[in-house]
Amino acid sequence: MAAKRWIDGDETAAEMLSRVSSERPFLLLPPLHRVPLRVGNVVELAGPSSSAKTQILIQAAVNCILPREWNGVHYGGLERLVMFIDLDCRFDILRLSEMLKHKIMEPNGSMHDHEELFAACMRRFMYVRCYDSLEFLATLKTLHHRLKREKAMHNVNIQLLMIDSIGPFHWVDRGSTFFPLGSHNRKCLSLQSISETVVQEIRKLLVLHPMLVIATKEIVLGNVYGTDGAKQNKYMLEASGIRSITSSSQQLPYREFMPPIWQSLITHKILVRASDDHLLIRPDQENSLYLSEWLLPSLGYQDKFVVKDAGIFVVS
Amino acid sequence: MAPFKALELEYPIIDSNFQTFCASHGILSVEDFLIHDLYELAAFAKQQPTSEKLEQGITQILSIIDEQHQPWVNGMELLDDTLHRKHVVPTGCEGVDLLLGGGLHEGQLTELVGPSSSGKTQVCLLAASYLASKHMGTVVYLDTGNSFSTQRIAEFVGRFSNHMFSQAGHRNFQKVMNNILCHSVFDIFTMFNVLHQLEFNMKSQLQKGGQVRLLIVDSISSLITPILGNIGSQGRALMTSAGYLLKKLAHEHNIVVLVTNHTVGGERGIPKPALGQIWKTVAHVRLLLSADHGNDTRSISVLKHPSMASGKVARFRV
Repeated sequence: MAAKRWIDGDETAAEMLSRVSSERPFLLLPPLHRVPLRVGNVVELAGPSSSAKTQILIQAAVNCILPREWNGVHYGGLERLVMFIDLDCRFDILRLSEMLKHKIMEPNGSMHDHEELFAACMRRFMYVRCYDSLEFLATLKTLHHRLKREKAMHNVNIQLLMIDSIGPFHWVDRGSTFFPLGSHNRKCLSLQSISETVVQEIRKLLVLHPMLVIATKEIVLGNVYGTDGAKQNKYMLEASGIRSITSSSQQLPYREFMPPIWQSLITHKILVRASDDHLLIRPDQENSLYLSEWLLPSLGYQDKFVVKDAGIFVVS
Repeated sequence: MAPFKALELEYPIIDSNFQTFCASHGILSVEDFLIHDLYELAAFAKQQPTSEKLEQGITQILSIIDEQHQPWVNGMELLDDTLHRKHVVPTGCEGVDLLLGGGLHEGQLTELVGPSSSGKTQVCLLAASYLASKHMGTVVYLDTGNSFSTQRIAEFVGRFSNHMFSQAGHRNFQKVMNNILCHSVFDIFTMFNVLHQLEFNMKSQLQKGGQVRLLIVDSISSLITPILGNIGSQGRALMTSAGYLLKKLAHEHNIVVLVTNHTVGGERGIPKPALGQIWKTVAHVRLLLSADHGNDTRSISVLKHPSMASGKVARFRV
């Protein structure tokens, strides 16, 4: 029986062609451009608070929902669906719509007559917010059916699943462990069982719907005063009238809090952080300078980038 | 979330046969279902004599859990919600409103950070009086340190509405004062209580007065600090839950949430916001208040804003 199923084959040539073409590696916009990413990859975007993580997600999402071409104008997008799961509950849709408008206006000069394109792109962006881990699990468990419906409705495939960010419920889940009652083989609800189920559900989704997963992760860098704390502390310093003391330390140790099962899921890892250099060199500059570094695969060098209205630009 | 027994009445497909099958896999409630491998469960169901009914039961529970999360919306719907239901509410404090481009945003959690006597409570009282005076809605004020001053509120309200002394003016004054509801809250559990009650009232439209537009917690840090010292994760769990509850109220009911936080001495004596790194990520907007020496001018600066570069400063008087 199993052997017969194996011989029978499970897809037609046309299906295979569309699968292979959708599985081709594609390059994302900077700072994710150094490594070719394929559908099925799970990228972890780690960084301290306000290190442009969500900005990177927005840029990737805009690139994904834009069409390749519209009325003869080239936009270079992928015309695919983006599913955005907001666990931080801080997402601002205006930032996405502004950037999308910017991209549409670039070749045209104005938004005039492009409302239809704008609306079509925005409808390819799907958003949900979760206020606790159980809502997150319920979302993941029903995502397969949701995706089937969306694919049929839009007649396009999903390309990106974004989670912003993984792990904000860590402490709540750690605190909510209880002893299972009523049945000897009942699983108990705990940090462990929740992360296991999250990873398991994402793995299953990736089999059924080939897509790229990008999850951000909020970390606390060991060297608080040299990095993420720098910006905030600068203003604190000004407010308190104490002169800034620079820290030149470059090591980036941070405490990993996600369980090993999550580590086993991710295939790529990039670290972003705000640079503190520029505060000293160009304190009047509008755009903050950020650093990105691939940790998995380890490339061993850093890209510098700035965030402008039009998107992210590498400046190294 | 409900145990299956309780669901049987509403959904006849979840019958005793289905319950026994699930119980044999250690699933007694919808929660258990969420942390279980459903593909595996479906495979087991196939081997049972009543497989068809069991599979229907699984589909039924899947559609129940589809209701347990917030609905998916597309970018257009989300943009529409932001543009038409999330307004900017002025605080009545010119410096603050100018700095923030009009005021505080509905749907967002704004945090005021500053050392003692830097004007945090004053900004809260001012925002409450302004909103009530302009008849924009109801204010719910959670006071944690007996710093809510009715005299100060009355003074502000008098400033915002003219002819206090006429008959009509007096009636108006009473109406305005009735739209500011103050709760004294001295621990985090009472706060959860008040907020859950508020959420329930708003959902079932039982809330007294007009629509709640502004929720103030002055100060959130005095509720959280006492529970953070504990060994173990309970304190941090409660802090995270409190943050999510406030953000949920803000977003689902289009409310401005304003909380205050004090500062503590960091390394090298530099003051930093209290409550640490986990709390740091909670608020949408974080503003720093500081007092200038020798006069009543206060300066306010942006520490974090979703669409604004940090570091902008404004000055105002209290």
